[in-house]
Amino acid sequence: MAPRLEIKGISKFFPGVRALDDVSMSVEAGEIRALLGENGAGKSTLGKIVAGVYSRNQGSILVDGAEIAELDEKAAGDLGIGIVHQEGSLVPQLSVAENIFAGRQPTQWLGQVDVRAMRDRARMLIAQLGVAIDPALKVSTLSPAQAQIVEIAKALSRDLRILILDEPTAALTLTETEKLFDVVRRLAGNGVSVIYVSHRLAEIFALCHSVTVLKDGRLAGTRKVAETSTDELIRLMVGRDVHFSRAATGRKIGDVVLEAESVDAPPLVRSASITVRAGEIICLAGLIGSGRSEFCEAIFGARRRRGGSIRIGGKAIDPKGPWDGKHAGIGMVPEDRKAAGLFLGMDIVNNVAATVLSRVSSGANFSNRKAEALAKNFVDELRIATPSVRQIVGNLSGGNQQKVLLAKWLAMEPRLLIVDEPTRGVDVGARSEIYRLLRALADKGVALLVVSSDLPEVLALADRIVVMAEGRTVGELPGDGASEEQVLRLATRYTASVAEVRKEPGMAEA
Amino acid sequence: MQITQPMADNAEHRRENLFVRMVRRLADSRELTLFVLVIALALVMSIVYPNNFPTASNMRAVLLNLAPVGILVCGMMLLMIGGTFDLSVGSTLAFSGVWAAVVAGWWGWPAEVAVLVGILVGALCGLVNGLIVTRIGINALIATLGTLTIYRSLTYVTAGTGVTPITDAFAAYGRAADPLLRIQSPFWAMLVLVLVGGWLVARTRFFRQFYFIGGNPRAAQLSGIRVDRLILIGFVIMGALAGLAGVLGAARLNSAVVNAGVDDQLKVITATVLGGASLKGGEGTILGGILGVLFIALIENAMIINAIGVFWQGLVVGLVLLFAVSLDRFKTSGRA
Repeated sequence: MAPRLEIKGISKFFPGVRALDDVSMSVEAGEIRALLGENGAGKSTLGKIVAGVYSRNQGSILVDGAEIAELDEKAAGDLGIGIVHQEGSLVPQLSVAENIFAGRQPTQWLGQVDVRAMRDRARMLIAQLGVAIDPALKVSTLSPAQAQIVEIAKALSRDLRILILDEPTAALTLTETEKLFDVVRRLAGNGVSVIYVSHRLAEIFALCHSVTVLKDGRLAGTRKVAETSTDELIRLMVGRDVHFSRAATGRKIGDVVLEAESVDAPPLVRSASITVRAGEIICLAGLIGSGRSEFCEAIFGARRRRGGSIRIGGKAIDPKGPWDGKHAGIGMVPEDRKAAGLFLGMDIVNNVAATVLSRVSSGANFSNRKAEALAKNFVDELRIATPSVRQIVGNLSGGNQQKVLLAKWLAMEPRLLIVDEPTRGVDVGARSEIYRLLRALADKGVALLVVSSDLPEVLALADRIVVMAEGRTVGELPGDGASEEQVLRLATRYTASVAEVRKEPGMAEA
Repeated sequence: MQITQPMADNAEHRRENLFVRMVRRLADSRELTLFVLVIALALVMSIVYPNNFPTASNMRAVLLNLAPVGILVCGMMLLMIGGTFDLSVGSTLAFSGVWAAVVAGWWGWPAEVAVLVGILVGALCGLVNGLIVTRIGINALIATLGTLTIYRSLTYVTAGTGVTPITDAFAAYGRAADPLLRIQSPFWAMLVLVLVGGWLVARTRFFRQFYFIGGNPRAAQLSGIRVDRLILIGFVIMGALAGLAGVLGAARLNSAVVNAGVDDQLKVITATVLGGASLKGGEGTILGGILGVLFIALIENAMIINAIGVFWQGLVVGLVLLFAVSLDRFKTSGRA
């Protein structure tokens, strides 16, 4: 008998990125298959292709042995392929029943929605999943787990043969997760094939029969869960060929600049401590959601701190807002350069001047001349490719935008520079230049605290690596000689999950 | 980003390109667009109605009538550059005027104190708006829509049908016997505010921060700019300006009218947007705002002179607004 789902040689290109490259796999009826990989490995993309959300560029898809030429969302629905999205696709203001039958509500005469029939059918579908949720409730009143179940019921409302779950437990608590697992197992028992997209190893061992690992858009291997181990899966996920070499470090490490002790900023930062010296590059590693960015924000003053102490150059500070952090000599390059970093509609001059308005002014007057001179300096120094300093920043490439963002903070000459994801969405060329810049800064005696989800980046840059998990700093490694596996093990010791340890350049944009 | 234009082979194409290029040049500077429109309108009116339009008395009337909106536009432009706005200005204007009149007319306090009280009441109204927006976090549309009716209602509660007459000493602030160029004080106050405000907003470090806030509030906050504090200050300035406009208006008539400035908020916002502000914030100049006010005033004046009637005014102003904003699509540099 033909497998329920068979995909052969699937490739998918986004502008500038090859998201999937010649991936094949097959799933039997009633099988729960995990799709595992780091962020950007292509697992969500593959799930969305099977669900008809994305179209493939190459390859073929067979359902129960029949080749499907045109697979869009409607065709997938008719074939009994359902997907529960990471973000959720429910309308919170409408009832459970209306969400389940969105656009396909049973009707009476004159097209009136038959509310009673709709609710009855919704109740039956939900009961099939072994839970009870009142179909008349508004979705906004449900817990995240209940909402997930409604999503599954929505998929079930059509004759379901293949169910794709994309990171379904991201918002769930432990007990809710167990409940969801029961539902998934029951569905598989009824012959539904489940594709379970996740990066949480523990869940895969608890739930799935088999696992397909993707790495950089390619198939890294398929294993039976019973015959594999955490170590093997991690190796499959991170084995790679791109390497950024460590520079020979002859840097002079100076006095302590930042001393943060048991910083507490609930809910994401529980007890985090770190010390950074002048001329030192410290990388803060950890999974997404481990509280790294939030810890940095608390140091800078952009996040309210409940406990702990922060000292800059031995002097205790209590930053109430970013202005206080700035005043103490801290600069922070935020993670999301478009939303939080840059003034996209303004030119380079104004962007660079934003942190140093008093320095580019004569008395009360803003001096265009001084600001332009400052911007010109940075354009030359950081080799920002632009026709003029009056170019609108939104028109620059990602790498050049990142450099403008760095320039904005270099302009204030910080003692401590926090850089959150320095190379997200930046091409390889700009990447190595940004590394060069950061090293040059450290050479000048600036203390650098770099948050990065990109392990090769961490290993290439760091003098020391501090690892966070669940809002706590859980360990420290010397930058020289550390391996990705060591970092991952520290980061996952508490959560047993290998989250998005690495970002692919360009994937955030794709 | 440079827009490259394909070579046109036929004459018709070339003519269109020239036209498009001219439109682009104009669209790049809203101030220039408006300036050209104002001059064109004035020229046409002078030619068609040489006896009615270009006379000293008509000009004086136009300038005096646009003064209150001209004062308000300075504050509104500042707020809109910062990405917010205040719908309650018309009510604030009436409330301040009435309080100044109560203090001078009913309580018999000196006129100077009454003027000061009026401006302070306006500033206080602005402070309340600002606190609601920045501390409670209610969005400016809802917050100032609420205070729009609250301040108007408080105006009625304070003075019923109004205060008439106030006192001669108080009225002297708005109608001198022989003022400069025979234009009364509201215009001169507006002129000073526009010049000083224009310089402040365009050139000073402090007010420049509003452009950053409007451009990207989160980035501004993370750049160490005290976003909430500045927005609060912006609202207070707006309120104080509305207070001043209310006081001068009451003085000019020697009467505090309870429904003064009823439609002013929309007129001011129209002028501000016409003058180059965007609802998203980060753009605009005081010069543009005042040109917007001037243009609307001229259109109203033209409508009255050629006797088409006031009923058509709104139609023309609305069309001009839509036209001016749609010009933005022709801007040479856009966001990628």
